Amino acid sequence: MNVQKPGLTLYGLFIVMAFLAAAALLLGVAVSSILVVLLIYAALAYSINFITGMIGYVDFGHVLFMAIGSYALATLVSYYGANPLLGVGLGALLGLIFALGIGLIILRFRGVYFAIATVVLVLAAYNIVLQFPQLGVGGEIIFNLTFQPLATYFTIWTIVLIEIVLTYYVNRSRIGFGIRAIKNEEDAASSVGVSPRTLKLTGYMLGGLFGGAAGAVYAWSISGVTAGPAFDFTFSLLMLAMIIIGGVGTSIGPLLGAVVVYIPSYFLLTTVAQAQPLMIGLLVIIMALFLPDGIVGLLRRSNQRLRLVLE
Amino acid sequence: MVAVELIVRDLAFGLMLGCVFSVIAHGLNIIWGVVKVVNIAHGEFIMLGAYGAYFLNLFAGITPLESAPVDAVIGLFVGYAFYYAFLHRELRNKETITLQSEMVTLAATFGLSLFISNLAVILFTGNPVGVNYNPGTLQLGYLHVPLAALYVAILSVLIIAGTWLFLEKTFIGSTIRAYAQDVTATELVGANPAKVASLATALGFAVTMTGGALLTVWVPVGINPLMGALYAPISFVIVVLGGPGKMWGSLVGGLTLGVVIDLVQAFATAQIAYAAAFLILIPVLVFRPKGILK
Amino acid sequence: MPFLKAHNVSKNFGGVQALKDVTLELPESVVLGLIGPNGSGKSTLLNIIAGLEKPTSGIVRLDNRRIDSLRANRVVGYGLAKTHQIPKPFSNMTARENVAVAVLYGRRNIPSPRLALEEADRVLSMVRMGSRKDAPANSLTVQEKKRLELARAIGTGASILLLDEVFAGLSPEELKDSIQLFKKLHNELRFSVLVVEHVMRAVLSLSQKVMVLEEGRVIATGSPDEIVHDEKVIQAYLGSKSAAA
Repeated sequence: MNVQKPGLTLYGLFIVMAFLAAAALLLGVAVSSILVVLLIYAALAYSINFITGMIGYVDFGHVLFMAIGSYALATLVSYYGANPLLGVGLGALLGLIFALGIGLIILRFRGVYFAIATVVLVLAAYNIVLQFPQLGVGGEIIFNLTFQPLATYFTIWTIVLIEIVLTYYVNRSRIGFGIRAIKNEEDAASSVGVSPRTLKLTGYMLGGLFGGAAGAVYAWSISGVTAGPAFDFTFSLLMLAMIIIGGVGTSIGPLLGAVVVYIPSYFLLTTVAQAQPLMIGLLVIIMALFLPDGIVGLLRRSNQRLRLVLE
Repeated sequence: MVAVELIVRDLAFGLMLGCVFSVIAHGLNIIWGVVKVVNIAHGEFIMLGAYGAYFLNLFAGITPLESAPVDAVIGLFVGYAFYYAFLHRELRNKETITLQSEMVTLAATFGLSLFISNLAVILFTGNPVGVNYNPGTLQLGYLHVPLAALYVAILSVLIIAGTWLFLEKTFIGSTIRAYAQDVTATELVGANPAKVASLATALGFAVTMTGGALLTVWVPVGINPLMGALYAPISFVIVVLGGPGKMWGSLVGGLTLGVVIDLVQAFATAQIAYAAAFLILIPVLVFRPKGILK
Repeated sequence: MPFLKAHNVSKNFGGVQALKDVTLELPESVVLGLIGPNGSGKSTLLNIIAGLEKPTSGIVRLDNRRIDSLRANRVVGYGLAKTHQIPKPFSNMTARENVAVAVLYGRRNIPSPRLALEEADRVLSMVRMGSRKDAPANSLTVQEKKRLELARAIGTGASILLLDEVFAGLSPEELKDSIQLFKKLHNELRFSVLVVEHVMRAVLSLSQKVMVLEEGRVIATGSPDEIVHDEKVIQAYLGSKSAAA
């Protein structure tokens, strides 16, 4: 790819990732078990960023790929005793394949219709999974793995790192221009030679790939998967919230959004479990109405220098 | 019972269920058709309507049929509030909703959905509740038709017919229809677009909450704060099936869905029935994106 | 040797016959004006040639390659670009970024964003919008947006431009400017152009040949001077009484 030299944003993100790696290695299991969830959130946020943040197609059903990844890993580990890393690989692969198949059909729908179609698919998938006893009674599969916190941690850490690099370079490359054109004005984009079909499908497939990978790691981290929570729209909503809050389409946004969404809720630890989604809901309303380009957008608009640096 | 009789029974129940489905989708249809906005929090307002009926029943002994008008009035106020909070800014001075505005309202209403449903869990607790309303059954041959379901179905059709009459035959209704077709033209003939849009939104919410009240008859033990997650997608599918903005489309879509769900349940599990009902959306969008009605 | 050829193109929109057996030839470097009363099918014809619609019947060839079944973005790859009647800029991108997209995805073979942006600057100064290159597209005036449409089309490296009413809604001063700019660009870049217009002054002064459509059919073709005096054309625009007068 013909891109110019990486800027401060990428180095900044590398530094953050380095800290996260060091923290896990040096500060022990207690810290890494908190941060691993943060990384899973971030991975999910980056994955939905490809289709929703960059291309602008709102994927309310993104949790589908997470579920696919979770079931892939759970099945492989629980029935075949496979190495969980294989499970992650399978989760990613299946996420990619499903995204391709589904995308070919539903990406031709615009705006709201696409969003609704994604919702419908999740609901249908949930109901279908419950039909298959191979996927556990009530879609529940539990397994017993030796506790390897660092293995899990660095798997998801690697996934996030790859996503960061990919997001960063896509935004700065020729593809990034095409994607932004589609997001702004899809019809005009094709009139200057952009192929919306190709780029939309690519974005959706990347979302499926990484969503599946993250979902697999998630199942690994909780040693199982259950249909109800696996297909829970709350995940989709959280993913969307993270990129809206952080800044849709940006390289920093998803990570920033993950931090904003996850850290306070960990420390708040109220007895009221609903407090987190409640506040996130409120935050999303405020952001959508007043700050549609998120925290990154706000920072870029407030300061000329930040505008040049933050991506 | 013989197979044919079972099918007839499922058909009958499916139609009655479908009538109620039509109403819960109708509000969404009105708002979508007139203001061209899709409210992701739609399910939450159905839920609020259902709880409204529940509490009215609990504290005042009112039946769901009687709570319908109360919910409708509440819905009007809620609708106006919703319009001015979320839509006024985006729609003001624009002929049609831009893509950016579409994203903004999708995102904002999605946040609203999260907010309301979780608030409801906190306030109402997650325990499912129900309304006990059983005025008896009607015996039609081998069919035992619960009167509750029948009354609610009839009321549902009346509501749809009523809104249709309002939109077709009254002056205000015509203004709303004109707005749906061409905002600028409506302005040119002297109507205030904000007033028209807010009225349409209020009407939509009134119908939605009424639908929630009527729905309680079909979910005797299932009123819970998260029920929106089921009924919102059902509403979306219904509106797409019937065609956004086509008033009778709500009925066509609702009946279709009700029948599909009940009939499929005769041969397969409830899950497959719901999965099938939801998946109908995809081929409809591929082949008849404007809905099955011409 | 003719560059662009359309043979017997017809388009039926579920009962409405928008185009009937339209045939045209657009040789290299020629400016062909396409005029006709409202609803005569001019925009439909442009859309079909550009790949935005498929003809019900008929063939469109670009240098002997059939393009009528190709999608719009593929057609751009072969050197044909169309502007929009109502400008559709990429609102949240700057003018130069708008043109850069065209440069990156047209047939220029410039895959580097940096080089594409430089080329975009060049194109923008060619259409006299250099001073606005960093302006967000949604802050441009209507006339500037139309210029941007033109800049994007040129940016793709197209050798055939389809211009859809680019001269509409301009003041007499702006019109004079635009006509002059067009002539200069045509001299420099030597593209072929199919110009759909209502503004007669523009069409007649810029076209070497003019084609007239009425209700989907070609009713006259010829030089601007011939067309202006053609009875059928006058009748189509003004009604038979005027033709008699």
